Amino acid sequence: MERTEALLIADLCEGDETALAPLIEKYKRMVYRLAMQITKNHADAEDVMQETFLKVYRSIRTFRKDAAFETWVYRITVNEALNYVKRRDRRQERTIETTAETEFEPEAHYRATRASDPHVHAEKTELRRYVTQAVKSLSLKHRTVVILHDFEGLTHAEIASILNCSEGTVRSRLHYARKKLRTLLKPYVDAGAI
Amino acid sequence: MSLKCQKTQRLLSDYIDESLSERQMADVALHLDTCRTCKREAIDLKKTCHLLENFYVEPEASDAYYARFTKTLQQRIDQNPPTALHQQVRGIGARLTWQLLARVRRYIDRCVPTRLITVRQKMLPYYALAATMMTLLVAPLVLKQMPTGENGEHALGHLYATAKARLFSTSTPVSHQPAATLAIQQDQTTAQPAEIRRNVSRSRTTETPTVNSGSDLWQFTDDPVAEGYILTTLRKNSKDTLPSVALDIDSELLAYAELLSQATPGEYPTDREVLTDGRYALLLLQGIRSGQHALQQYKRKRGQFEGFSRKLLDVPLETLSITEVYDSIEL
Repeated sequence: MERTEALLIADLCEGDETALAPLIEKYKRMVYRLAMQITKNHADAEDVMQETFLKVYRSIRTFRKDAAFETWVYRITVNEALNYVKRRDRRQERTIETTAETEFEPEAHYRATRASDPHVHAEKTELRRYVTQAVKSLSLKHRTVVILHDFEGLTHAEIASILNCSEGTVRSRLHYARKKLRTLLKPYVDAGAI
Repeated sequence: MSLKCQKTQRLLSDYIDESLSERQMADVALHLDTCRTCKREAIDLKKTCHLLENFYVEPEASDAYYARFTKTLQQRIDQNPPTALHQQVRGIGARLTWQLLARVRRYIDRCVPTRLITVRQKMLPYYALAATMMTLLVAPLVLKQMPTGENGEHALGHLYATAKARLFSTSTPVSHQPAATLAIQQDQTTAQPAEIRRNVSRSRTTETPTVNSGSDLWQFTDDPVAEGYILTTLRKNSKDTLPSVALDIDSELLAYAELLSQATPGEYPTDREVLTDGRYALLLLQGIRSGQHALQQYKRKRGQFEGFSRKLLDVPLETLSITEVYDSIEL
């Protein structure tokens, strides 16, 4: 008989390690998605996933049963990912010979795409890549809010709880992130490529 | 850009998400109807959101990636299991605390069905702490007010001692009525007629020992172990002290009720009857339990402490009285 999530959590609290695997199976894609979007790197995302599930396993007894488990996992993942990126960036700053990230140039990208790929289907493929790249180019704070709100569908209150900030801050970050994205995506927005 | 436009544009993101209040939504809509710049901004923002919604590609990993991840994670868990002692203790502590708080909460919920009192979960530890501190503060005051016994002990202490004695006593259960019960009552001269006291005094020829039981009542229950014998086990309250004569011999006192063989069968000593050499109650000593070994032990000890049994027989009637008759016994 398949155990419910609540039962799995209760069993894990009691020290039943077999309850961990179904929980990992259920949340691994969500955790990966978040970790990957925040860290922008497969290897780093895997590290974040490891830390996230280890933390879930070790801290399951501190999980308040009246809260949503999913939100709790979100919180752990986001915090782990943000901390990971901050540590990584500090390390990179200390390294003199750091490969600079390619500056995202929307206009150049748009022109190149139009010139090289005249077909609509190919254009849409490029557009996907372009939009994804634009989101990636956002600052860490703005990117996190956009990911949680627009792609994960969390409310302002949930995001505020996860990021430990006020709802107003979340709204503000979302607003500026969208403005930045509008600027980045301006060629496509103006061209009506939707 | 006017102040109104700035204010509107700050709200545009929430306007697109429709997460503003009704009034704010109406205000922004009204402004957008009259301001081309803001309307253009709103349309662009909406198109941007649409682009994100339709063209953003969420990352996805292959099954091999997840398989590798799961394997690595399992290895890490095995290498560093979260079952170290401190983690176990912490976990148990957290679990117990949680269970306690949950019980308290359930109890409060049950007691207050109308929820006139709402207890916030976060506050429960503080409530529990406050209740503990209050108990510690109030308990000494309550105990001070409790009536004290003759020995200066609290009634609570007496109750505790009685309960402990009943629970842990190895003698016959309380509910079991003893066949023979002897009671040594400490000096009751004030309650006894002077004439009886004088008669008793005259009938005694040997020296009367000092019996200080430390309690008003020594009660003995019987415990038959062999033919012709009833070895009576002392049911002793934990706060009682043994008679000094008994203490001279052993701290573990058993009582032995005895009728001499020449006593008439069916004739039992009665309450306040003067005990003579022919019919007497004998209190005996320690270590006698049951079985053949006990019998031998009893005989040995009886010979060894004959003087003591004699002394006990010389206890004045006011001190030794029989409250219940015992079964016919042959020695």
